[in-house]
Amino acid sequence: MAIGADKEMLAELARRPGRDTLTSAIVKGAFITVSLLFLAALLFAPLITVFATALEKGFDVYISSFKDSDTLAAIRLTLTVAAIVVPLNTIFGIAAAWAIGKFEFRGKSVLITLIDLPIAVSPVISGLIYVLLFGIHGWFGLWLQENDISIIYAVPGIVLATLFVTFPYVARELIPLMEQLGNDEEEAAITLGAGGLMTFFHVTLPKIRWGLVYGVILCNARAMGEFGAVSVVSGHIRGLTTTMPLHVEILYNEYNFVSAFAVASLLTLLAVVTLVIKTFVEWRGYRKR
Amino acid sequence: MSIVLDQVTKRYQGAPVVNDVSLEVAEGEFFVLLGPSGSGKSTLLRAIAGLTSVDHGRIHLHGQDVTHLSARQRGVGFVFQNYALFKHMTVGENIEFALRVRRMKAAERVKRRKELLRLVALEGMDDRLPTQLSGGQQQRVAVARALAHKPQVLLLDEPFGALDAKIREELRRTIRQVQRELKITTVLVTHDQEEAFALADRIGVMNLGRLLETGKPEELYASPATRFVATFLGAANLLLARQTAQGICFGRMPVRTQVSERAETTREHEVVAVLRPEEIELAPTRDALRTSFIANGVVEEVVFTGALERLRVRIDNDSAEEARLAAVSSDSQPANAVLEVTRTQHEQRAFPVTLQQTVAIGVRRIHVLPTPLSSYTACGPTSEAVQRLVRHPFLTELAARMKTRIAVRTEAALGQLDTDKPASEPITGVAVISSSGNVARQVEWLLRNGAGEIMVLPAHVAAPRRVLIHWADDVVRRSTLAVAASLLRHVPAEAVYLGILPSHSDESQKPIGVRSLLDARSEAQAVHGLEMRTELHFGAAGEELHRQLSEAPDQMLILGISNMQQIHEEFGALFAAPASYSMMVVYRSAKEIDQAARADHARGDHVRDEAPVKARERAAIGR
Repeated sequence: MAIGADKEMLAELARRPGRDTLTSAIVKGAFITVSLLFLAALLFAPLITVFATALEKGFDVYISSFKDSDTLAAIRLTLTVAAIVVPLNTIFGIAAAWAIGKFEFRGKSVLITLIDLPIAVSPVISGLIYVLLFGIHGWFGLWLQENDISIIYAVPGIVLATLFVTFPYVARELIPLMEQLGNDEEEAAITLGAGGLMTFFHVTLPKIRWGLVYGVILCNARAMGEFGAVSVVSGHIRGLTTTMPLHVEILYNEYNFVSAFAVASLLTLLAVVTLVIKTFVEWRGYRKR
Repeated sequence: MSIVLDQVTKRYQGAPVVNDVSLEVAEGEFFVLLGPSGSGKSTLLRAIAGLTSVDHGRIHLHGQDVTHLSARQRGVGFVFQNYALFKHMTVGENIEFALRVRRMKAAERVKRRKELLRLVALEGMDDRLPTQLSGGQQQRVAVARALAHKPQVLLLDEPFGALDAKIREELRRTIRQVQRELKITTVLVTHDQEEAFALADRIGVMNLGRLLETGKPEELYASPATRFVATFLGAANLLLARQTAQGICFGRMPVRTQVSERAETTREHEVVAVLRPEEIELAPTRDALRTSFIANGVVEEVVFTGALERLRVRIDNDSAEEARLAAVSSDSQPANAVLEVTRTQHEQRAFPVTLQQTVAIGVRRIHVLPTPLSSYTACGPTSEAVQRLVRHPFLTELAARMKTRIAVRTEAALGQLDTDKPASEPITGVAVISSSGNVARQVEWLLRNGAGEIMVLPAHVAAPRRVLIHWADDVVRRSTLAVAASLLRHVPAEAVYLGILPSHSDESQKPIGVRSLLDARSEAQAVHGLEMRTELHFGAAGEELHRQLSEAPDQMLILGISNMQQIHEEFGALFAAPASYSMMVVYRSAKEIDQAARADHARGDHVRDEAPVKARERAAIGR
């Protein structure tokens, strides 16, 4: 089809809403201004404050605040928790999305609702349920104490609470994707003689990879940034059970603003990186289609 | 045989989607499964591939029972409607997928890939991504991919569905060529009859989960056995006619023309005649017709469609000398029938017509459907009772599905018990009565007044999910099976034949009972194309049937009798109490069956007496 406008251009024309008139240009400008002002007040100002305060006493002081052993421990703990939680939730997310997207079974809608639960429940409650289960006065408290296992006020508790809070992210990203893409390619692979694993790695995974990456990024961001649930189960033992967000709070309460904002700036950087990757992923996904 | 299906049934939420389908596809044959959407054809295809499990029945591929094998182990080639190409792989990688699964060496893979791309005329496209190809090219890639591992069976699920007309035709030719070249057994599913005609060695028509008929395209077109196939394959005018000793009558005079299919009994009865639009001739006067005259008509519509001219001609009953020419239509009012007519350019030049012109209608060839259920006549003692019956949801649904009419008849005699008073005129078609009053006496009265089939409908009865079949003796076996087969083509229900032995019969009689079941089953399958299950019971026939029918809801009975006394004696239990199930009574006396057989014999026609194997072949090629 060499003659005439190409397909994409025609689609673009058909998609564009309305005609370009003076009024519509003014309305457009007004909306963009309002949105930008809103973003400036709520997003950019705090972001700038974080970096400004962190660097207020010079770059050397900023760097030296990371040399504190407690701060390093907090960073290490946060990375460890993320390293455990993100792969587990990725596997869970794929399994749940697979089950929901590809099979019909009773209680499917209940399962979907349950996956959304951690988003609906306040993070503090999510932390509390683990205290109630595994705390000294909890259901399994006595047994755990007898066997000398500590969950609450220790790393396992933090991992559990973070797992709970972040498990919807990968699943929620994949469910609509799997439902929309359907089963045909998998069925084709099976009739061509491929087994389950081969079908998954060569057909399903490439199909869903960008959605999966996006889900993993979101999951990771939440895992590193979680405050409420972790705060309840951690016990705030410096150098042992403080994650980065908790450490920021401790430093701040000690009027150590530079260090507090320095650690905060790390978390903010993480958010910025996440957004950049997300934009890239969405751009890739759009190009694919 | 390459593919053999034996009584395959697939249920979805209790309702059969594929209902007792048996089919054999020969080595290297191109078989097309044709049916409207929702007829179960795609489900059947997926069952052959192993993508859907079946609830009942067996599937054989090349003599191996694969019913419980996975799709992976069956290894058929499958082409999906929306291509289902792997979008992240290139055309070459798509085609090589099945070969990589089988760990074939790279050099051999490349060789095979080139070969396949040549086959589907896509040479040099190896490195393109599927998204860079047009719809037709993508489907070619899908065909090549499905053939890569040299499957013995190729299955295509509406492969041209998403393509426009021109590309469709081109791709159709490619697929036919590929199939001829590889001599691969192929089953293609479509809802497009033109596609079916163009591709098929043999067509199977499905509706409501049942495989209605199979046969060569031209045979199915010329002599369909069912209304559905007659109207689904091409256009057809269905008219009610009377089968008499002299031949087919639309009015008083028999039509002298070529008529296929012969009568089952010598008794005068109503039949459904198929008149293809191209077999109808128009002329200015009756004398100018070169074919047999049926009626006069008025031209209502003329449409020019290029090669052919399409007309709609309303039959003028009043002016026609033969009165009462009824079209098969779901109207209960006997409206004047409208015939569809197509004429070639040559015919148009010989006799140009204008709108509202009165013409004489002749017909070159009539095909009579072998169905015993031609139309319905709702009978009752008062007009209110009759009107209630006409509005009965099951009856209206049945008539609509069979594209036939429901006539009405008010007979006071049905309300009284004085059964000697004859009907005003003989009952035609299937008589329908409600199950109130003395059912046994009403049935007997109707039988005495010419009815051969009587349907008894309780007021609140839904369409059945299970139809029980039983006959009193072998005289009516054939007729009962014919009625059952005809009815079950329009009702999505399971058919079960109940054999009943007296309760005092001992073990030695059991093998005889079982044998009669098997005989019944094979006859139903071979002669009537009806798949049914069989059960053996013990007890008094009437009571046992009544018990079975009362056990579960949504059941129906088709009962064959050869003697009116049987209504009161043997099967008295069925007619005594107000029943909760519907019933179809089929009556043929031994005398009329005997006469028909003798008439057949006189014509030197022995087909019916041949071995079942022969009969089965006859059924397989489409009757």
